[in-house]
Amino acid sequence: MNRKLFALAGLLVLVGILALAPTKAAAATLEVWGGWTGPDAEVVKVLVKEWNEKNPSAQVNLTLQQWSPLFDAFLVAAGAKKSPDILAMHPVEMAQFVDKGLLLPLDDVLAGTQINASNYAPNVWEANKYKGKLYGVPMDFHMYGLFYNVDLVKKAGVQIPKEPMNAEQFLKVARALTLDKNGKHPGEAGFDPANIVQYAVNQHTNHHAFYQWWGLYHQLGGTLISDDGKRCVLDIDNATKAWQWLQDLVYTHHVAPQGQTDYPRDFLSGRTVMLVSGPWERPAFVAATKEKNFNWAVAPYPVIFRTRAVWGAGTNFTIPTYSDPAKRATAVKFMESLAASPKWAQTAQVPVFKGMMNSADFKAIPGWEVFAEQLPYEKMLPSTPKFNEIFSASAPTPMMVLGQNIILKKADPRTESQKACTAITGILSIP
Amino acid sequence: MRILAPSRPTTKAGPARKDFRWTPYWFMLPYLLFFLLFRLGPSLAGLGISFTNWQVAGTTKFVGLANFQAMPHDTRLLDAVKNTVVFTALTVPLLIVLSLALAMLLNQRRKGRTFGRVAAFTPFVMMSTVIGILWTWILEKDFGLLNMYLGRKIPWLVDSDVAMYSIVITTVWWTVGYDMVLFLAGLQDIPRDVYEAAEIDGANKFQVFRRVTIPMLAPTIFLVVLLTVTNSFQVFDQVYVMTAGGPGTATLTLVQYIYTVAFQFQKFGYGSAVALLLFVILIGFTLLQMRAYRRGVEGVGA
Repeated sequence: MNRKLFALAGLLVLVGILALAPTKAAAATLEVWGGWTGPDAEVVKVLVKEWNEKNPSAQVNLTLQQWSPLFDAFLVAAGAKKSPDILAMHPVEMAQFVDKGLLLPLDDVLAGTQINASNYAPNVWEANKYKGKLYGVPMDFHMYGLFYNVDLVKKAGVQIPKEPMNAEQFLKVARALTLDKNGKHPGEAGFDPANIVQYAVNQHTNHHAFYQWWGLYHQLGGTLISDDGKRCVLDIDNATKAWQWLQDLVYTHHVAPQGQTDYPRDFLSGRTVMLVSGPWERPAFVAATKEKNFNWAVAPYPVIFRTRAVWGAGTNFTIPTYSDPAKRATAVKFMESLAASPKWAQTAQVPVFKGMMNSADFKAIPGWEVFAEQLPYEKMLPSTPKFNEIFSASAPTPMMVLGQNIILKKADPRTESQKACTAITGILSIP
Repeated sequence: MRILAPSRPTTKAGPARKDFRWTPYWFMLPYLLFFLLFRLGPSLAGLGISFTNWQVAGTTKFVGLANFQAMPHDTRLLDAVKNTVVFTALTVPLLIVLSLALAMLLNQRRKGRTFGRVAAFTPFVMMSTVIGILWTWILEKDFGLLNMYLGRKIPWLVDSDVAMYSIVITTVWWTVGYDMVLFLAGLQDIPRDVYEAAEIDGANKFQVFRRVTIPMLAPTIFLVVLLTVTNSFQVFDQVYVMTAGGPGTATLTLVQYIYTVAFQFQKFGYGSAVALLLFVILIGFTLLQMRAYRRGVEGVGA
């Protein structure tokens, strides 16, 4: 019996050693992490494959995961002073990592490369800086456009202009595009708001409700966070006006549905005629055109208030502090090759490297000119080390609670804006 | 599972050592290692972290009781506690009553019993995230299956007054089979002669249920209540998938808030403190329930 026990124990120890033994050291490779998980992921994989084929001595290992768990993994790795060599993210997310000392400033690292201010629009270049230093290599921008169903618009006898509509034009078109089950429009005698079969436009109930509001708020003018980053300085009057506009689309004008959750699906099915969304939708709509002759187009985001502004975001590459310095030169070459590659346009976002917007790849996807033209008017969320606590889309952040209360619960926009501002100040005031 | 204790026959000189067996301990060793590494160790570490402002990366400072002092002023935490208590108060009685009723029904010898048992238990074998996705589709306001059959557009998941009830319905549907199995085992442990004696004494069905079944099921009921309350307080998966704690904070639960604070806001110190709060609540409830159970047992004279 003892012999058998010893044999069992020995086997267990052997299994343990084999399990814990380090694997044969892999050839030195560049570890690149990114959060692309949709059709854009396939484009990035192709670009990496092409790089690997051309650079056998400098291979790239691409790790793809949804953005939120990707950053969780990055933080845990950084806690052990390990990092990928390149980490993709969005410019607005940089501040929280810079604040923890986890990202390298790139001004010196990129010296002598094509990644310099002369090859980017000023707002693109500045968006990738934090406290005056560059931390991100700009890859693309994306912002809202107003997609519309060409056939349903034609059937309604209205036109959607190439220039951005103002409030009056938008409401006129929206009323014409909204139908109840008896074919009546909002404002007509006998219109039944409880039985609308076709809505003019979608109304977000997720984080995009806040993003839409963000663009509208900037159309009126205002900021959110003070210059010292310690308090909320929301212009409550303008914030209220912007929210009221969105709330009224649902509850007053009845041109947008209440409690909507799947906006592209509703657009493709004809439940909504217009869709406020970004260039990332285009590949799916192009496929729908091929499969079922879905006839769509895109117009600029409306200018409802004073000045032109539209919410947007972007993608960039960063170099983590704990990345391998020996691979840094290769990392820079890789980022440069992707940034200047016309094929980045196949991700369906707006490539921002100079000249990329004139590339055949960018022009291959319909609607490119609308998004390209809006680039100077894009307004990103503010950079703050407390970004996740204020703006995370998958947590009960002030942003989410504010938007959902106003759009879903028809809460008073002024009261909710004040509450959110107080909550944001509370978050910012804690170091 | 009964673990064979090492046999220790004693002699006049004292316990005999040569028959002591290590075998049971060797078999326990892998789980013990797992428990130490992945349960006890992290729990103790969490206790220590709750007194710091640890953010994984960056400088960590000892903050004493600051995390605990911040709790009464944290409105989201208060919402999470309230929602979790409401969820538990709604789910537990429903689960106990429905699972016991199902167990009583499916304990009888009748046609379809096996099918009934399988049908009731099958949802429980599905992953929580699958349940969440499935019910999100069923409860979808405009195109969901339920509203289609009802002919109405009830905002099951997008109305803050209704969303919690939707989560409760989903959870009860998902887990009633598991509690039913526990009750079935308890029912089958009740000796037949007790029921025969009651019938001979002229007890009707309700009296048999009240005076025989319930008292004999007391240990099982205690276990089911304990498990159900503990699990309800730790609800996360299906809520996160279906509503992510929304609309607003209408369905935000304690475990989701712990996850949010720790992993999304990177405030592991505060998250650990909230986790400790949950632990204290659960321990307190468990002790209360055990005391009530012991009193009940003593009262019956068992």
